[in-house]
Amino acid sequence: MEEYAREPCPYRIVDDCGGAFAMGCIGGGVFQAIKGFRNAPSGMSRRLIGSMTAIKTRSPVIAGNFAVWGGMFSTIDCTLVHFRKKEDPWNSIISGAATGGILAARNGVPAMAGSAIIGGVLLALIEGVGILFTRISADQFRNPPPPTEDPAALGDPSSNFTFGTPTSQKQYQ
Amino acid sequence: MSDDFLRKPFSLAPAPAADEATTSNYTSGASKFSSGPVSPYLNYDSRYLQRAQPEFIFPEGANKQRGRFELAFSQIGTSVMIGGGIGGLAGVYNGFKATNALNQTGKLRRTQLLNHIMKQGSGTANSLGTLAVLYSACGVLLQYARGEDDHVNTIIAGSATGLLYKSTAGLRRCALGGAVGLGISSLYCLYLLAQERGNSSSPKFL
Repeated sequence: MEEYAREPCPYRIVDDCGGAFAMGCIGGGVFQAIKGFRNAPSGMSRRLIGSMTAIKTRSPVIAGNFAVWGGMFSTIDCTLVHFRKKEDPWNSIISGAATGGILAARNGVPAMAGSAIIGGVLLALIEGVGILFTRISADQFRNPPPPTEDPAALGDPSSNFTFGTPTSQKQYQ
Repeated sequence: MSDDFLRKPFSLAPAPAADEATTSNYTSGASKFSSGPVSPYLNYDSRYLQRAQPEFIFPEGANKQRGRFELAFSQIGTSVMIGGGIGGLAGVYNGFKATNALNQTGKLRRTQLLNHIMKQGSGTANSLGTLAVLYSACGVLLQYARGEDDHVNTIIAGSATGLLYKSTAGLRRCALGGAVGLGISSLYCLYLLAQERGNSSSPKFL
């Protein structure tokens, strides 16, 4: 059901990239505001200035990192959907691991392996929680038990089946 | 398809009797058809099926048109990607210029080029994306506050974006940023209005 709430695949990349950027920008802004406030020299105006400076310098960088992660993840996810012809939790886990690996590509092979493992485990956790919630919430959508299966309730099978009364067969109205 | 049937008056009555009398020799089948009982599903004025507006089925509880919030993430993502592309190209150019000036070759040159591309690309992507986030946030807030989505929202959100983005750089530059935002959003709105004048049924993008 939630697959219909998202964009179709190639456009999903742009959407996820933007969503990740917005999340990083706003979340990073709040985080850096607190951090800059705490780390600034004493005095209220200085603290506010430090907070503002931290937001201005750091939150776009955090947002950019988020956007790169989201865009890369979505790209690999869509590629996997295209080649495997199915959408399942393994897509997300594989693309999380691959994203972690690719984005650490300039730090050497051990760093790539570590980032890939972290990314895969993180995405596996997210997918596992999603599946768990689906299982829990599936109980309330269970069908009611079927009614009685007594064939006598269906009527006499020897009489012809008609719509309406048999006297009005020539009339349509 | 001609609309002739729309100009004629619609009548449920069978064909006139004079016609029937003159042509009864060879249209007995047709006259029999018109006088007999007709199914109510066939006996339906087809003008009711013709509507000027196309009709769509919407899921329950969904809006008829996508608002600013649904478009915000796509806009932000588009501007981040465009910024990354432009910044990356500029980084390639600047990197070639810097490495040629310093006579760097081989592995050093490759690393320097990558550094330039990464730095400029992420810088441009971040600033364009931040602008898009500010614009989208202002637009969404305005849409919720005013309860409608029109060109006034676009202009106000554009000006507010410029003002906010330059709000810490002094009063003059703040005003300059606001003026730039106002100018760009006004130009965009004029473009949209001209397009709407051109074809009245053009879709709305922003």
